[in-house]
Amino acid sequence: MNSGMVSPPEVRGRMTITDQGDALHLAGAIDEAAALHELPQRARDGHLVLDLAAVTFINSLGVRDWIRMQASAQKAGLAVELRRVAEPLVHQLNMIIATRGNATVTSFYAPYQCDSCGREESLLIDAIAHADRLIRLDPPPMTCPECQSQMAFNDFPERYFSFLTM
Amino acid sequence: MSVPSILIVHSDRKTQRTVQRILGVTGYRVDVADDLDLAIRLLQNSRPVLVVFDGSLASPATLIEAARANGTEACMTLLGPASADRIPAILGLGAITNLLVHQMPILAEELVITAQKLIRHDLFGVEKYLLWGTDLHTTTLTRGSQRGELVAQLAAQVGSLGQSARISSMAMLAADELLSNAVHNAPRDAAGVHYRKELPRELELPLDERHQVRLRWGCDARYLAIEVTDSFGSLDRDTILSALATNNVRDSGGGAGMGIALAYRSCDHLVFNLAPGVRTEIIALIDVRHPPAERVPASSYNVFVERSS
Repeated sequence: MNSGMVSPPEVRGRMTITDQGDALHLAGAIDEAAALHELPQRARDGHLVLDLAAVTFINSLGVRDWIRMQASAQKAGLAVELRRVAEPLVHQLNMIIATRGNATVTSFYAPYQCDSCGREESLLIDAIAHADRLIRLDPPPMTCPECQSQMAFNDFPERYFSFLTM
Repeated sequence: MSVPSILIVHSDRKTQRTVQRILGVTGYRVDVADDLDLAIRLLQNSRPVLVVFDGSLASPATLIEAARANGTEACMTLLGPASADRIPAILGLGAITNLLVHQMPILAEELVITAQKLIRHDLFGVEKYLLWGTDLHTTTLTRGSQRGELVAQLAAQVGSLGQSARISSMAMLAADELLSNAVHNAPRDAAGVHYRKELPRELELPLDERHQVRLRWGCDARYLAIEVTDSFGSLDRDTILSALATNNVRDSGGGAGMGIALAYRSCDHLVFNLAPGVRTEIIALIDVRHPPAERVPASSYNVFVERSS
């Protein structure tokens, strides 16, 4: 059968960059069409702060451009902060060490699952506040937004947190 | 000498029995060796269609060499999740065309499918990995820029089947890399030049019949299976094994083969069906039964090459 068309999905939209407070907010897919090279030029006072909560996807071409962007920022002497890093990007930070550059990750999303009701959520972890736990590969406890039970970390901590160990 | 057979080389008696029982259903004679010495002796008097061996075997290269010299078509390594750190060494051999990583004893269905494909010389089709009755969705890529749309549609449809965002995300990455590979890396001219490899991926690229790429996918509540086929058949075994072995995907900035390496790491099982000069079919299988923390922390692969008749 030929697949029926579904409504145009937002999940693979072209990446957008918007100024939000002290950070640049990236949304959509980081792929061959993403204009990552613009980012270092938009740094402020030697700081490049990227809010990555709305990044939905990154492919190998996006990874290549991401690494180039990090190298360019490093060459320009910029301090790069990655904030609210979405799960797809965390997976790449874990798989490809070069994607980390010299950036500091201050917060990131991580998968949790409720043992009681089975709900799965991607929840934000403050990497600064929980630094001691994270270095011990001990995920911070989270509460299920649906049934208020304790949620369990839904990945292998040694794998998921490896990007924090540099 | 002429009796068709399968050889199992494993030191663990329980695994031997399990694998013997599973592969016995093929109707082939199944020989079992506890160690390398016995395996080599058995190979002197037989030509197994498949040699299945323990991934923690001390000298796999010796066994592989003996099997190949004897005309054995395929070698398969079995690995438990606890031995997943052996994968780079196994891939580094550049000769293991089949690796199954599973909780031991091995998952029967994947072992049987692999053996049957080799025995029957019937390699192609994602149907072999899905339960009867599974709907397969088919789309043909007719222009390069369609890749993004198709991948997004796939993710939306997978989500609408009730699969998690994590599964959709894995499906997107695998499909995107395989489609990109089929559109840009597969086309090769008579001189062996991959003439679309260096074209910017964002370039609009109409695909005539020869260059069109087929995407099929389906989900049977065990696996989400994504199949991508091109009609060049230019991908070869050594290129694949080298790409899979790109362990420095962790260390480097990418480059050639990175797409295949990422596709491999974004699914649970990657299957390459190769008909040289005719077509390449790659199937990514994503296990949808288990949450991430209960999954096997490494991926299996198979490389099958169609015999020239």
